[in-house]
Amino acid sequence: MISEEDDHSQIHDLMAHLLDPAAEAIWDSAGFVITEDGESSLEPKNQEEWDRVLYGAKVISESAFLLSRPEVSKNREDWIAVSGLLKVVGDQAFEAAERQDVEALFEIGADLYQVCVACHQTYMKD
Amino acid sequence: MKKIFKIIAVSFTLLFGTSSYLSSHHAFTAEFDPNAPINITGKVVKVEWINPHAWVHVEVKDAGKTTVWMVEGGTPNTLIRNGINKKTITPGIVIVVRGYQSKGKLCLPRCIANGRDITFPDGRKVFMGSSGTGAPRDGSDPRERR
Repeated sequence: MISEEDDHSQIHDLMAHLLDPAAEAIWDSAGFVITEDGESSLEPKNQEEWDRVLYGAKVISESAFLLSRPEVSKNREDWIAVSGLLKVVGDQAFEAAERQDVEALFEIGADLYQVCVACHQTYMKD
Repeated sequence: MKKIFKIIAVSFTLLFGTSSYLSSHHAFTAEFDPNAPINITGKVVKVEWINPHAWVHVEVKDAGKTTVWMVEGGTPNTLIRNGINKKTITPGIVIVVRGYQSKGKLCLPRCIANGRDITFPDGRKVFMGSSGTGAPRDGSDPRERR
């Protein structure tokens, strides 16, 4: 029997050590910084950096399965549905990373954030 | 891509309902103090168009002291939809940002604020946050007035 405290800890660990770093890999792969000296892109510069994005995207996609397990989801239909959206967005990010399409990754990054927010608004406590 | 996002958006509405989706977000209260409003007037020195939040760096000069405030905005796409883009917010322009300070308030290691709206040199005031983040309902978000 998993206590509520252990359950919370398990979800927190999944978020902190799996989903957050994976999401950061996607968010950090697209965008730009503008200063008085000009504009610089966050676009990955080599295959190693692209591999980090591919890995993050795959983690996001597969985390849908992890979050949908009965012991985590408690069979809550809305929880499972939003978890499923992570697979949609993660797969899109993976395909965009394979194409090295930073414009698509920029848009997918915003979609990913909306998925995160939708779940946090319902389930995350301060 | 847009088609997929529409499907996602519809799914959110079906799952949570519009009012729930717009009601609150813990990120604001985790990071910022709703009781510490601030007006920041200064020159834009850097803009980061990065998900999940755009950041505007504003250089403030006060009594001979220069401080750079990092102001968090909504997602880049949200800002662009509101009319804030690479052409309208550029390094060198002077803006006024209305927002809330981070809970630390001591500017250690940096001065950080959550931005609610920007007033541009021509007087135009534009909402720069995201709806439903849990920020105070202070009238800056047009969606709250509907």
